[in-house]
Amino acid sequence: MKYPTKLPRGGVNPPSETLVPPESGIANAAVPLRALIPLLQHSGKPAICLVKPGDRVGEGMLIGKADGSRSANVHASIPGIVVEVRDHCLPDGEVCTAVAIELGGEFETSGRPRQPREWEKLSRLDLLDRIRAAGVVGLGGASLPTHLKLAVTPGSSSSILVANGVESEPSLCADAAILREKASEIVEGLRICQTLLTPARTVIALGEDSAGLVHELEDLIRLKGMKGEVAVLPSRYPHGHEQLVLSAVGGGDGAAATVVNVATLYAVFEAVVLDKPLIERVLTVTGSPLLHPRNLKVRIGTRIGDLLDECGGLAPGPVKIVMGGPMRGVSVDSLDVPVTKGTSGIVAFAGAAARQAAELPCIRCGSCIEACPWDLVPTRLFKLIRLGDAAAAEREGLSKCTECGCCAYACPSRIPLVAVLRDGKRALRGTDA
Amino acid sequence: MPDRETRGGAAPLSLMPAPHLGVGMSTVRMTWLVSLSLLPAAAWGVFLFGSPALIVLAFSIGAAAAAELAATLPFGRFTLRDGSAVLTGCIVGLLMPPGVPAWVPAAASAFGILVVKQTFGGLGRNWMNPAMGGVVFALLSWPGLLSQWIAPRGGAGEAAALPPLEVLRAALSSSGSTGGTPLAILARAGYPFSDLDAQVLGWINAHLPAPLGTALQPGTFDVLAGHVAGGIGTVSAPLLMLGAWFLLSRGIVRWHLPVLYVGTFGVLTAVFGGLGTGQGLLAGGPGFHLLSGSIVLGAFFAAPDPVTSPLTDRGRCIFGIGLGGLTFFLRFFGSLGDGVAASIVLGNCAAPLLDRWTSRRIIGDAHGRAV
Amino acid sequence: MKVPSPSAAAPDATLLPVLFLGLCPAIAVTARVVDAVWMSAGVILVLALSGLAMSLLSGQGDSGPTVRWLRALVITALLTASLEAALVAFAPVASAALGIYAPLIAVNCLVLGVVSPGSLPASPPRSLLAGLARGAQFAVALVFIALIREALGAGTITLFRIGAFTGTIVITGIIERPARALGAAGGGLLCLGYLAGAFRAVAPRAGVKSSSPEKAE
Repeated sequence: MKYPTKLPRGGVNPPSETLVPPESGIANAAVPLRALIPLLQHSGKPAICLVKPGDRVGEGMLIGKADGSRSANVHASIPGIVVEVRDHCLPDGEVCTAVAIELGGEFETSGRPRQPREWEKLSRLDLLDRIRAAGVVGLGGASLPTHLKLAVTPGSSSSILVANGVESEPSLCADAAILREKASEIVEGLRICQTLLTPARTVIALGEDSAGLVHELEDLIRLKGMKGEVAVLPSRYPHGHEQLVLSAVGGGDGAAATVVNVATLYAVFEAVVLDKPLIERVLTVTGSPLLHPRNLKVRIGTRIGDLLDECGGLAPGPVKIVMGGPMRGVSVDSLDVPVTKGTSGIVAFAGAAARQAAELPCIRCGSCIEACPWDLVPTRLFKLIRLGDAAAAEREGLSKCTECGCCAYACPSRIPLVAVLRDGKRALRGTDA
Repeated sequence: MPDRETRGGAAPLSLMPAPHLGVGMSTVRMTWLVSLSLLPAAAWGVFLFGSPALIVLAFSIGAAAAAELAATLPFGRFTLRDGSAVLTGCIVGLLMPPGVPAWVPAAASAFGILVVKQTFGGLGRNWMNPAMGGVVFALLSWPGLLSQWIAPRGGAGEAAALPPLEVLRAALSSSGSTGGTPLAILARAGYPFSDLDAQVLGWINAHLPAPLGTALQPGTFDVLAGHVAGGIGTVSAPLLMLGAWFLLSRGIVRWHLPVLYVGTFGVLTAVFGGLGTGQGLLAGGPGFHLLSGSIVLGAFFAAPDPVTSPLTDRGRCIFGIGLGGLTFFLRFFGSLGDGVAASIVLGNCAAPLLDRWTSRRIIGDAHGRAV
Repeated sequence: MKVPSPSAAAPDATLLPVLFLGLCPAIAVTARVVDAVWMSAGVILVLALSGLAMSLLSGQGDSGPTVRWLRALVITALLTASLEAALVAFAPVASAALGIYAPLIAVNCLVLGVVSPGSLPASPPRSLLAGLARGAQFAVALVFIALIREALGAGTITLFRIGAFTGTIVITGIIERPARALGAAGGGLLCLGYLAGAFRAVAPRAGVKSSSPEKAE
């Protein structure tokens, strides 16, 4: 069923045409000669390192064990020898341990077809265990360990399960590409989640760019004997956000709801059916300075500089590289930064787009208020925080801010609203980080 | 720390906070575009009134720029680039009568920039529209000098050097109740409309089929096209609307405020305008009043100044209605000019209150009390 | 002898309605220099005399603030009323200049706070001098504002008639086109505001304690 629903309010329309040629498919990125795998690629506690320099690791071997329940396993994405275990600074500023592996030895599992396993007869706990063992985390951005997300008490009649195929950021198209190529596996992954959660309603939410897949997905649902529907949401940022997807498809008024990204569903499928740990993911490498922007299937730990070279390399001149999408991504200061489970894209900017625009005074135009999907008044919050009164900003809803970036996008005075709001939240928490 | 790759000596990677995209229109561009969209009306004013008009504009813009520099350079800032001082100077100049001594618009601009804007912290911090504040200051200080009108080029001689609105008021107050539309009253008072007006209307009236009703009154063309005496930029409504349409289509000005301002004023004038002059209800002549004085310029260019108008669309609607009402009262029952500048200044005082009332949302603490 | 600093007598928030009331005569009498001079003279006189009276009466045991306030109010009102009557009888020119704002001398004096019960109980000569000092400061501010307002707003400076001098200095450049907005109440507020701002900007550097929010005089 197709219902183009409207965002209740707010949101912006950044130019979202991705530079990746449509229908171009997913190419396999070259296996890196050296992979740097951080042990914190999820929300929660870092994994405990199980290897030391000199150890020989196989492809898919467990190198980081989940530290308690709010944590996830980490596996080696390439076979080889551990050359270094050291502290690594993640792009958002956190420091964790990382394992550097030099490529060598046999690829035990790549290139060989895996045997699909039975899973319908497994108990809930065993299913969750397979997902947990594979180190599956949310690949849509928040990186919550998936076995935690799916461990909710099986649903009452009012619960809803949504497969989120709406691209979370403009210019990225990895989710659309996976949907095109791996629709069957994704629906199977959805079926696994359905078995775990037994929701009253299941919806696959698509963005307008994937609207052509509606029939195929509906057929798959029917073929597999599932109960579910397909919804197409209009493309407007930040429509890919969990809460907005939920309210668009008619859920989310306090009823139990679970939203899972389609890439995560694919990883769930691989974990449960193919016994494959999470060691690679699809992401979009794009940006005007690149010659060949494309979707790549990348091994965790690959250096982003190598990926940019695969896409044609960067021209000289001022350049900005962003991990993630253009609206929420983090700009990085080095091309040695590794790809992690949470990296959904790499965007390159050049020229004027790579320079910080001068900040002008707020002219009270109200564009930020128009743009905010959460009913906030960013101009007021920003002024309160700049004046040092973060507590007043909190009373006016600062904690509802999801840092989606709509307000700063819309601001004609180029005020870094998201940065200021984030500062305010930090001031309230009382940390310096 | 990871090894830093130097990209072979090329510049290091830029680091900036998210988001990494921005909307195309910037504040600087918006302000300059507003000034640009006033160009047609300004050019027409200079064409009609000659070099005195050009001198007035030059002085008003120059004084605004000089005042802005004087207030910012000593503190190490250079703000002319954002275009707001030049815009203030433009609006002040366009509201002035062409024959005014050049130092009056200069003083008005300087007052607007120094007292109304820079004293409170510069762009974005003022609570009163700087151009309107300057104009009101000039109106209060030198009311006589702000009546130095010039006859328009192609007008009917020296007698045409009075704006229709002034003549109308004089006619109404002197001869008591005289019926008819404003144009009829003006004709009776002997207001000299131009030959061009007579020719155009003659042609139109000759070709208008009789059943279509009344012929167009003499003076219609003059007033409509802006071929009368008046403020430099305020006479020609069509050219002002050209600029306004440009701004509206680009989203630089939102339609709520100007349309409701003009609409409310029009409705009130139509219904009640005739009361003060003893002509009864529904005899106000809204068309004439909308085209005279500075309401078009005020409604589409001055009042929607984002800094001093409400933040939300609902607030802008209420603001527009309020301004329409104020202008109606000040023009028909007041004595301070045509009421536009004073009503905008009064309305600016209420804008923060409107913000509070119309800021839907989460304002309030956990118990819903207003902050 | 150390004259107590006038700005040390900081009124608290309850005086706020009084402060606004104090603006009214200040704006009214600064339209002409001569009016400002007369008002200042009245204030100086009443401040000095009431300070003296308060000090003389404070020997009546230590009463609470309420009683002291009442005492201050009554004394100031009495003095103002007497001054008014005296002016009407002996100096009609001054009386005409002050017009209906004569009774507001009392308000100005209270606002200036010398008779505030918070001030230290001083000896009679000290109180007298303190009153004179505060009144003089008030006079300087008032006359300064009046100078600006009248010169720019009316093109004249009106002083006293002395012999052949008519009392009005005409400023030739401005007299034809004075900025009448400054002569109006709004213009007066503007001048007051800028003077207050200038005082706050300069005072710390000049070593004067700038404390009270009512520096509008």
